[in-house]
Amino acid sequence: MSIDCLVLGAGQEVGKSCVVVTIGGKRVMFDCGMHMGHHDSQRYPDFARILAAAPGATDFTSAISCVVITHFHLDHIGALPYFTEVCGYHGPIYMTYPTKALAPLMLEDYRKVMVDHRGEEEQYSYEDIDRCMKKVIPLDLKQTIQVDKDLVIRAYYAGHVLGAAMIYAKVGDAAMVYTGDYNMTPDRHLGAAQIDHLKLDLLITESTYAKTVRDSKHAREREFLKAVHKCVSGGGKVLIPAFALGRAQELCILLDDYWERMNLKIPIYFSAGLTIQANMYYKMLIGWTSQKIKDSYTVHNPFEFKHVCDFQRSFINDPEPCVLFATPGMISGGFSLEVFKRWAPSEKNLVTLPGYCVAGTIGHKLMSGKATRIDLDKETRIDVRCQIHQLSFSPHTDSKGIMDLTEFLSPSHVILVHGEKPQMAFLKDRIESELGMPCFYPANNETVSIPTAQNLKISATEKFITNCSTAQARDSPRKSNLICGNHLSGANGDEKLAEGILLMEKCKAPKILCEDELLQFLGTEGHSVQFEPLLRSRIGEAETGIVDDLASE
Amino acid sequence: MDEGLAASVPGPFVTKRARFVGPHASSSSGADPEMEVRALVSMASGLYPLARAEALSGLASVLKKVNASGGVVECCYGSAVKLLRDEDEGIRLAAVRLVGLCVEKFAMREELGGDGDQMDRIFLQLSSMARDMCTEVRIEAFNALAKMQRVSDGVLLQSLSKKIIKTDTGSASSSKGKTLPPKLSFPCAAGIFAHGIEDEFYQVRAVACTTLGALAKLSNQYAQKALDLLMDMMNDDTEAVRLQTLHTLFDMATYGSLSVHEKHMHMFLGILMDANVIVRNAARKILGSVNLPKLQMFKSAVDGLIAGLEKNPEDQDIYGVLFSIGKNHGSFSANIARHLAKEINMASDGELILDKSRTKALLMVSVSAAYGDKDKKLDIPTVIFSHSIPLFGTISCALAEDEQDSLLSYLYCQTEMPFWEKKLVSAEGGDYECFSVETVGGTHAQIGKTEKTTKYLDEVVIMQSTRLILDTVKGAWAVIKPCSIGEVQSTLRTCKEEVNILDVNSSGSTGAFLSFVCDYLDAVQLIVEIWRFVQLDDSHAFGPTSLDILLEKLDTSVRRMKCCYAGLNRELEVQVLDFGLLAILCRLSEFGTCSKLMLDKLHWIINHIDGLCADGPYELSNFRKEVKKVFDGNFIDDTPVVNICTFLEIFDLRPATDFGMLNATTAVLQVRDTNSENPLSYVCGLPVGMTFDISLCNISSNDRIWLRMVAGQSIRHVFLDLSCFEGNDEVKSCSTVIPFYATPMACSFVLRACLVIECPFGSIGTHQEGHGGPRDCVVQLCDELDVYFVSADTDQRPWSK
Repeated sequence: MSIDCLVLGAGQEVGKSCVVVTIGGKRVMFDCGMHMGHHDSQRYPDFARILAAAPGATDFTSAISCVVITHFHLDHIGALPYFTEVCGYHGPIYMTYPTKALAPLMLEDYRKVMVDHRGEEEQYSYEDIDRCMKKVIPLDLKQTIQVDKDLVIRAYYAGHVLGAAMIYAKVGDAAMVYTGDYNMTPDRHLGAAQIDHLKLDLLITESTYAKTVRDSKHAREREFLKAVHKCVSGGGKVLIPAFALGRAQELCILLDDYWERMNLKIPIYFSAGLTIQANMYYKMLIGWTSQKIKDSYTVHNPFEFKHVCDFQRSFINDPEPCVLFATPGMISGGFSLEVFKRWAPSEKNLVTLPGYCVAGTIGHKLMSGKATRIDLDKETRIDVRCQIHQLSFSPHTDSKGIMDLTEFLSPSHVILVHGEKPQMAFLKDRIESELGMPCFYPANNETVSIPTAQNLKISATEKFITNCSTAQARDSPRKSNLICGNHLSGANGDEKLAEGILLMEKCKAPKILCEDELLQFLGTEGHSVQFEPLLRSRIGEAETGIVDDLASE
Repeated sequence: MDEGLAASVPGPFVTKRARFVGPHASSSSGADPEMEVRALVSMASGLYPLARAEALSGLASVLKKVNASGGVVECCYGSAVKLLRDEDEGIRLAAVRLVGLCVEKFAMREELGGDGDQMDRIFLQLSSMARDMCTEVRIEAFNALAKMQRVSDGVLLQSLSKKIIKTDTGSASSSKGKTLPPKLSFPCAAGIFAHGIEDEFYQVRAVACTTLGALAKLSNQYAQKALDLLMDMMNDDTEAVRLQTLHTLFDMATYGSLSVHEKHMHMFLGILMDANVIVRNAARKILGSVNLPKLQMFKSAVDGLIAGLEKNPEDQDIYGVLFSIGKNHGSFSANIARHLAKEINMASDGELILDKSRTKALLMVSVSAAYGDKDKKLDIPTVIFSHSIPLFGTISCALAEDEQDSLLSYLYCQTEMPFWEKKLVSAEGGDYECFSVETVGGTHAQIGKTEKTTKYLDEVVIMQSTRLILDTVKGAWAVIKPCSIGEVQSTLRTCKEEVNILDVNSSGSTGAFLSFVCDYLDAVQLIVEIWRFVQLDDSHAFGPTSLDILLEKLDTSVRRMKCCYAGLNRELEVQVLDFGLLAILCRLSEFGTCSKLMLDKLHWIINHIDGLCADGPYELSNFRKEVKKVFDGNFIDDTPVVNICTFLEIFDLRPATDFGMLNATTAVLQVRDTNSENPLSYVCGLPVGMTFDISLCNISSNDRIWLRMVAGQSIRHVFLDLSCFEGNDEVKSCSTVIPFYATPMACSFVLRACLVIECPFGSIGTHQEGHGGPRDCVVQLCDELDVYFVSADTDQRPWSK
């Protein structure tokens, strides 16, 4: 028996995560993402290969038992409406409650940007998204779902973003975990990934930061707070361009808490729109956040920020210091760009940038060097004199975290996806040398086949069991002197092996039995061969002892 | 059984014998731990998870009982380690706990010279558990790690950093020729603390923090790096963790493994401004005990504390921290002292305001430098000391109780000379008024400072302050002139306030002493008032009865002094009697009449004073001689003409210097099962019973205690038989049902109940016998208690009509 793992996306790259795993005859698709960097056919996973890998299946519905989506990021869910509505998959789709709630927002937002702003051809319509989401079956954490007679899946908390999950799948004795994106260190609003000790044949893990070991989040937080505090106490304004979900809430909790402790009165603003709506979702889905928030929300919902107020457009030119969260995150347009244009020329102001900005955005230009002048278009030119602070918050686990999770789960095999090739090679070596597990990092459209262990149920005869226990009882008094002896490290190392004969017959359950039972079973008599060793010894007793022993065998 | 084996491994018989002859025979009494251990170990490797977990906890309880040096520890350790990676988290938890116990036992053995490599190995094993997915396991792993007593530096440092440190000590991971399994190599300790302090659960963070601190004892290099992590934890979002961090830092400071660098100062100063007072306190406590290597850091710490003082003026213990920080850094504070002295000298009058917290704080630091400087090497300008006198109280709070005496002697030797010199000069100059004002003012400034910090003042300081107050009173009395009575009165008032402030938090003997002084001052105040009244001669200005009231008040206050304190020494008693005498004289002079009773009392007092002074060192004062002269013999028919003013002029107020051990006679009266919300019900005209809980303090068996109940016009006294009370001489208590007969014909009424003590003048009875009440004047022992009654008769209720 084996597990076949076909990597359709995110093999040796980041983007369009999609892995199809065939396990005990069942085919499960983990994630169905799109690649943000491509605008051609490479944008989606090559679904046709699924049919090729499944001889006998005519359409996707029959080829695939189920689709499981780990979280709502587009590189994990972006191709789903295309797959279901255009390719015609009608089987079950699983995702967690928050993912189901937030995914349509993300998909629709993206579709609008693509079609309305960039004028691209529509891949799927609003109705497609709607129809697709109706097929989704929501999952809860640690809820075991019997997809069909053999296939069982279960979701575990993964951190990363609201509703992110790691998926455990099991068919018969073969079991595996697909992690999706996860975070092993908690942040202000999400907890750390959590999973049980499972017996696994395969672990498919992300490896975004395969080589990086991040320092403590405290240092990052401290620097961020210091920069913000310094700016506002100097009378400056702070612009925090952020995506609506995740970082904005994280930073806001951080600031709100700091404001409370330091008793600051400077207003924190949220630009209207998606962020407010997202905050509402967070308030509702409080059970999926970190322990701290779950603990405190009975008294005070941490997403009802005490110091946060709505932003009015007229506030932009107010002279007082303030902190403003504005979308989109990389200052690629919209409101954050509008504010940036006004605030950038003053040295007193501060702009904090997210850890990663796509090339071509203003955020990227600011990060790539101390830009003093940015030409927006032919007529507009911005003088940038404000301070720039780069945030290094990331919701992905680092190399240490991947190693920790792998060590904890101790699977038989590891497959790395969602990372860059050189780093993955480095991590593969580490896993193989330090943890002694075979590790693979297939490229896109490659298949890895790994063997699985099969457990065999055997029954034992009564006599065998009696023999074993008497042997143990006879031996135990020998290892003594526990109280006074100091040298008895061997006392525990008594790997008591029982000897017996495994009997496997056709059409019958395998059985383990004793030596003499076998004779009985076979209906033959035993022959004994005696040896007579000649030992030169003056101690008669010892000699007889050995001879007795041999004779008894 | 073959003999070869029997010879190499001692058989059970040998074991038992060895155990009995062995030195630790006594420790293994009771059940046979060996068999227990063996059974449990085999169960621990069993099939069923619950049985495994139980076996481990069973082993743990056996292990607690046995001696450290024995194979049992190894045995338990072995089976625990095997189960560290069990699938069931309950078992992992039990296994980690058991390893923790083993660590304790191994640590005990360490003292006899143990195996360092083994400790490193255990540390690594536990470290790998500190990244477990189960919260309890993580907590337990950190707890166990905190018990480690000897770990090599390399392993410790690795536990702080997520990045793998490549060191030569890596060989520590192999021991006794056995190489560890690959999973137990160095990296598994990597950054467990870095992870621990950012754990999702605050319990884990807190315990990681404790462990960080506990291990800091083991290595200096580690301690420094651990400090960086701890500094980060001060930004934690959970208060409990922040507090634990501060606690850990304080422990580290106590063990001397805390060395603060400039980069940490920012964090410390930030937390000094925390909104939570407990956090601020803890931060200051640490600052008070660390060693700051640079003057710049010292200054920024002092500035931070001053800023804290300005922001939160209620944090008075900052002065204490300033004092100890100054004491710890003698030369730095001397530096500050010199700057401050310059500032003082440059400032013209009025510019340097002592009340300003900054000046106060800097004075504090400056004075502290000299305090810690036993060899007098530091050059502290004397001007500092003369300016620190008003900080007397504040400084004394800064010190631990046992140090306060030494502070007093120190401060006196530093400050007393200039202070009293001034007084002497003024006294010689003969300018009484000026002297009085100045001394009193000075004393008040001094005592005023103590006002905020009274709760810290202990007996010594209270005594000192009270003595100063009494000196002031004495001085004030001496300068009473017709025109200056007003001033003296205000002085007395202030003195009384000071005593009241001191009294706020005192208790026991000190409390009694202070309340006696209060009564004493009351009496003096009343006498002064009466004097003023008499002198004015225009009684209409005060209304017709005010003198009467004053006299009554004086009587009460004298009675209080006389009867409500146990353990009055002779000096005090004489003084109280003097006041009594004066009170009677006032009455005589006012009304001109001389009832027999009055004269009886007068004579009793005179005789009593005579008796007290006869064999003592106290000679009769002019006042007493004069009184004796006037009243000796000729009082029977004549009404002696008493001019109270002459008496008052010769009356010399000499407050006692020795108060001995005073105990206040007090009482607590409570009525059961009722309050203003739940009144008792009664039937008009019929008696009603109340259950009183009474407790009496310092009442002697000779005292006569009454319960006085007043309802409208009717008064009823009930004598309390002390023999019914339970308890010792100090506190007696009982609860009793007492009836009240004269219930009024009303739908509700309030009964005012009060405990009073009889105040006898020898055998002279004020009231008639058989009257049913106390024979003498009484003094209230407690405040009046209101008992509310509502008629049970519904017809009486107005709303039912």
